[in-house]
Amino acid sequence: MSDRFPALTLATRNLSRQRVRAALAALGIVIGVFAVVTLGLLGNALGVAATEELGGLGNQVIVSPSEASGSDSLDSRDLAAIQRVASGRGTVVPLRVTGAQVRASGGQTFAQVYGTDRPGELFGNGSDGIPAFHRQGALVGADVAADLGVREGSTVTVEENEYRVVGVLPEVSSISPLQPDSAVILPADEFATSGYSQVVVRANSPDDARAVASGVEERLNARQQRVSVFSLTSILDRISEFFDLLNGFLLAIAGISLVVAGVSIFNVMLMSVSERRGEIGVLRAVGIHRRQVLRTLLVEATLLGVVGAPSGRCWGPRRSSSRRC
Amino acid sequence: MTGAPDAGDAAASSVAAAGVSTGPEVPPLRLVDVTKRYDSGRAGYVTALSHVDFAVEPGEVVSVVGPSGSGKSTLLNLLGLLDDPTSGRVELWGRSTAGLSAAALTDARRESIGFVFQDFHLLPTLTALENVRLPTAFLPGDATDRARDLLERVGLADRMDHTPDELSGGQKQRVAIARSLVNEPAVLLADEPTGNLDRETGTQILEEVRAISDTGVGVVAVTHDDLVTDYADRTVELVDGVIRRE
Repeated sequence: MSDRFPALTLATRNLSRQRVRAALAALGIVIGVFAVVTLGLLGNALGVAATEELGGLGNQVIVSPSEASGSDSLDSRDLAAIQRVASGRGTVVPLRVTGAQVRASGGQTFAQVYGTDRPGELFGNGSDGIPAFHRQGALVGADVAADLGVREGSTVTVEENEYRVVGVLPEVSSISPLQPDSAVILPADEFATSGYSQVVVRANSPDDARAVASGVEERLNARQQRVSVFSLTSILDRISEFFDLLNGFLLAIAGISLVVAGVSIFNVMLMSVSERRGEIGVLRAVGIHRRQVLRTLLVEATLLGVVGAPSGRCWGPRRSSSRRC
Repeated sequence: MTGAPDAGDAAASSVAAAGVSTGPEVPPLRLVDVTKRYDSGRAGYVTALSHVDFAVEPGEVVSVVGPSGSGKSTLLNLLGLLDDPTSGRVELWGRSTAGLSAAALTDARRESIGFVFQDFHLLPTLTALENVRLPTAFLPGDATDRARDLLERVGLADRMDHTPDELSGGQKQRVAIARSLVNEPAVLLADEPTGNLDRETGTQILEEVRAISDTGVGVVAVTHDDLVTDYADRTVELVDGVIRRE
């Protein structure tokens, strides 16, 4: 018996007496902690995956002419106003949009046609292949390129005009209000109109997007409903709230198993104490204080938990990810 | 991991110190006009002891006999400071133990009283040596040498590292006696010390007890065994909670 920690020595000896019972109680804690760790990781992983998928969406603000304004395009004054609001908060990209038949040697298809001089901002997707400025030729979306069998250097015909393909846009996996996969992008000058069908603001953060959306509403819609502002930031917030809720729910379920494990330790200790009433009486009779007996029992219960918890914690991440415990 | 000194320790020390200063005429343990009643529910109160006066002197062996239910165990519990009297007082070295906290009583018990039980009550997970050291486990200092000496004295020098299930009944009782002596008590309380032993082993144990009393320890043995009374300096008979004969 160790002189320094008599409670620890007595506790370990007592636990060794009922090895199976102690092991089962510790296993309960292992399972409980494992459940908390894995379900917690699962919830986080779902949240992260969803945020990555929808990430681009939250930062985009799309300003288009309002039906009430009677106009189908935004003029340069509107654009300037938007640029002022968005200054320092993100990049403003005016777009001209129409739909057109696109033909190539491999066939023909109906595609969205975007007109912009700066395709890199909206469609670059981090790829080097997309020029920052677009003066001539056509950029073709991944789906359109596949349908028509075109690649860089091919020729496509958009509404009777021939364009040389200067690049194929990378496939876009995230959800976006613009659909570059099934679009052809031409220089803005190729459109006959002078106004813009849409102005897309790619904000630096969801907070900036929110500020830009409300700023544009304030400036352009103060007297008359000139523009409609489309931003998914609030929807993204809701989605993120939902994942927080889901995470909490999963953790609560895992927590229940941990509580059950705790109750099982309590039960084991209760059985152990009632079996050892005589022994505890002897300890008290030979002059061991009540708090010293209690300390021994607490050390026993703690050992059960302490042995179980790290094993559950190590086991959890090893199974669900490559993180070390 | 030793208990910090508290008010209880101080109170117990004062009780023990009183014994040293008041001289040999004060018995280490005494019951003065003690009555103990138990509440037995609908049946009302049961009087286990009625106006009992009892004292044990240093170096004497007292056997307490009597039929079942006569109050022998109650007497031992009161002497061992394990229970409070309903009226009267229990005196340790001439001082009443009434009003002492549970912690102070625990300390007083550890310092002045040793227990030997019929069923030995050794901790099965500890070796003989560890069982003997058990009362000192939470105290500062190492009692290993003293525990070793005591085990040698009771003839178990070669059984120190054996657990109780590797010992015979007589050996277990000798370990229990060594345990009761590790704190150098003034009084040894024995509850049927030979109850689970054959006659020969019982005799050896009683020889041991006699030797202990010769060192100045007062011994109170509650028993049904005539052998114990043969070894006693005096015998007290309890009948229905009253001392019938001394």
